[in-house]
Amino acid sequence: MSTLALVAMLAAVGALTFLFRYAMIGLFAGRTLPRWLHSLCRHIAPASFAALAASELFIHAGEVAFALAAPKPWAALVAAVVAWRTGNVLATIAVGMAALYLFKAVL
Amino acid sequence: MGRRVDEFLAGCRDEAPLQLGVIPFGMLYGIGALAVGMPVWLAQLTSMLVFAGAAQLVIVQMLGAAAGALPIGLTAVLLNLRHMLYSASVAEHVRHLPRRWRVLLAYLLTDEAYAVAILRYARPAGPGPDLRHWYFLGCGLTLWGCWQLSTALGIAFGARIPPEWDIDFAVPLTFIALLTLLVKERAGQAAALVAALAVLALAALPYRLGLVLAIVLGLLAGAAVARRGEARR
Repeated sequence: MSTLALVAMLAAVGALTFLFRYAMIGLFAGRTLPRWLHSLCRHIAPASFAALAASELFIHAGEVAFALAAPKPWAALVAAVVAWRTGNVLATIAVGMAALYLFKAVL
Repeated sequence: MGRRVDEFLAGCRDEAPLQLGVIPFGMLYGIGALAVGMPVWLAQLTSMLVFAGAAQLVIVQMLGAAAGALPIGLTAVLLNLRHMLYSASVAEHVRHLPRRWRVLLAYLLTDEAYAVAILRYARPAGPGPDLRHWYFLGCGLTLWGCWQLSTALGIAFGARIPPEWDIDFAVPLTFIALLTLLVKERAGQAAALVAALAVLALAALPYRLGLVLAIVLGLLAGAAVARRGEARR
């Protein structure tokens, strides 16, 4: 992607993000958010994070790859257990990175 | 004047502890942005233009995966749609303010600033005119300052971190951590599961368009499960 295209995309994302934040305060002040939009908004974060994590771990150059010797999925599995047991973001990152270095050394 | 300053400083003080969680994200974004080849000035400018942690990390990860501008933009925009919920939630409290105040507070309306400011609005304004928007401003500016500073720190350190450290792997790890915190109920779990499976099924689509489609499918699955749960009750 050229720098110009990147700047244009980032400016557009910034402008739309501001419009979302300003929407109910300024643009549609006095109106309520439709129920269907409210319902969709609640699931945006889990759907996005799950799709991004899955794509980072299992898609390489547009192809799905499950390899037993790939260190990243194993490290992610260890991190997921830490996240689930502790609920601590920093601990998850620290243990996940340590696990990645370990699996890279042994696999 | 005194009460305005008091409200403002109280907002800064109450927002401060949350920065422990914000600063590592900002640094991670700064490091990642340089790692995927973003120029320094643009990495910092993005923190001012977009000013949304999760979306900025998503942009970095997708740039790293050589995704096209349109899928990256669409994914980031979808992710930021949730700010409309916050906007709707604070609307009744800021409706009386002049437009310049509402524009400023809207720009500063992030997850963490919202979380603290809305608690202040749950408490009485106190005697005299309602000055709680100064508290909101204190929250927002504290977060804004920390976000810019931590981005700059990440940029400064990022240039010195060798690529074989795989520091960008911390981004998907962050998503995994946030995911386990977020998905406590059936509908959220369905949204996450469907989105993850769909992204793999749609991997062959060009420019990573599969990612946008997978998120939309996840949203629909979450909404469907939520509706079924409501109907049962």
